[in-house]
Amino acid sequence: MFGKLLKYDFRSMFKQFAFIWPAALALALVNRFTLSGLDSTSTVGETTAGIAMLVYVAILIAMFIIAVIFVIQRFYKGLLGDEGYLMHTLPVKPWQLVGSKLLCAVTTTVINVLIAILSIFLIIPWGMEEFRDIFRGLQYVFSHWNIQATHGIIFVAELILFSLVSFATGYLQLYLAMSIGHLFNKNRVAFSVIAFIALNAIMGTLGNIILPPLGDLMEPAFRGMSGITAAHTGIWLLIAGSLILSAVFFAGTEFILRRKLNLE
Amino acid sequence: MNEQLVTCTALTKRYGGKPALRGVNLELGRGRIVGLLGPNGSGKTTFIKILVGLLQPTEGAVLVDGQSIGPYTKSIISYLPDRMYFADWMRATDLFDLFADFYKDFDRTKAMNMCASLGVTPSDRLKSMSKGTKEKVQLVLVMARKAQLYLLDEPIAGVDPAARDFILGTILTNYNENGTVMISTHLISDIEKVLDEAIFLKDGQITLHDTVDNIREQEGKSVDALFREVFRAHNFEGGAF
Repeated sequence: MFGKLLKYDFRSMFKQFAFIWPAALALALVNRFTLSGLDSTSTVGETTAGIAMLVYVAILIAMFIIAVIFVIQRFYKGLLGDEGYLMHTLPVKPWQLVGSKLLCAVTTTVINVLIAILSIFLIIPWGMEEFRDIFRGLQYVFSHWNIQATHGIIFVAELILFSLVSFATGYLQLYLAMSIGHLFNKNRVAFSVIAFIALNAIMGTLGNIILPPLGDLMEPAFRGMSGITAAHTGIWLLIAGSLILSAVFFAGTEFILRRKLNLE
Repeated sequence: MNEQLVTCTALTKRYGGKPALRGVNLELGRGRIVGLLGPNGSGKTTFIKILVGLLQPTEGAVLVDGQSIGPYTKSIISYLPDRMYFADWMRATDLFDLFADFYKDFDRTKAMNMCASLGVTPSDRLKSMSKGTKEKVQLVLVMARKAQLYLLDEPIAGVDPAARDFILGTILTNYNENGTVMISTHLISDIEKVLDEAIFLKDGQITLHDTVDNIREQEGKSVDALFREVFRAHNFEGGAF
């Protein structure tokens, strides 16, 4: 059943982004050709390049803003609005409804990032020479592989994981804020905003209370580590912290949907 | 299979401090058409929403086919809410896909046939459909399932009398005969002729639950007439003016 929920959430995502993803890539391609106008002496070429770049940057920004709006709307309209009458009477469990929305939200963000990276590659007018250089560089790295390179790869993987968990935490905070807002009979949107701000304040306060003694507690352990081990450990602690927050937000959202649901 | 389809024990629901249901006890069998009758605000929608899992009771217990409300009970209940619940970008056929995916008892062929007889083009976008047509799509979704319990919340409230008969006809000819249909309404005269049982709900309490035949026999009047008598306090069209 979870897979079927995902199918419908992903379908609505692709509908939402069917225009903007190809548009971002197409505009990147346009820039690839207009960019050379910047070096030329012609004002026309310069203006065209400027406008093309402006539109491209605007569409990238729009892409990320739309993603956040999409995540909020899919949850608010899909689970707490009229569509909730359909979703909450399907033979599924509330955690599956939240999980499906979350997985779709994180995937949307990942695709956005990938599209942004891909578009930058499209803009740069690579020639054969540049590809050869990259290839040579990679060859050099692999032939001179050492422990630093291994650490580098692991760091990248850890940072990607941390980003993914952070996105999930952020989206779950939005979900929980909307669910808390839903507990009120009136002004639910306003209370959702207040709940979001309140969650931030609580996290800040708890952080101030918990983190200093936790730091003191762990300091001796860190002192015994090499710099590179300390860095890995630090990232994993951040990941663990985000995961704990995510779990709390998820549990709170699931509890409200399961026990306190009250659609208008 | 449990003998009783629905069992409610001391079911209570309060919104804040305000009670909407007050200690409802009810047993409902299989294979019958039941009217859930009461004026606006008597707790009909609250009761149905608890059965489908959209609300949690404050106190008391409710079992459907012997199980508490969850994925299993949702899989055997077909629910027609009192509002539109679909995203505008969808087509009726998208909803058929969705229902076929989630409900094993959804009969797609039957849905297409019902669309044909109701004059609905299922490949049209819902956005382009009139309100009445959307209501028909929703009715098709609900009645094309071979459910054990159909819960229809005010299915005839918003439509004209001709459409009312048509909708009732659709319900009668399409429901699963081993299933039970519960129709909530305050328009009793329109549905009285199809009901096997009637439940009167007043201020969140069941004041009467009997077969329509028994009511007619014992009270010597139609359910509609009895309803008007029982709920006269709510009737502002009468002698008060």
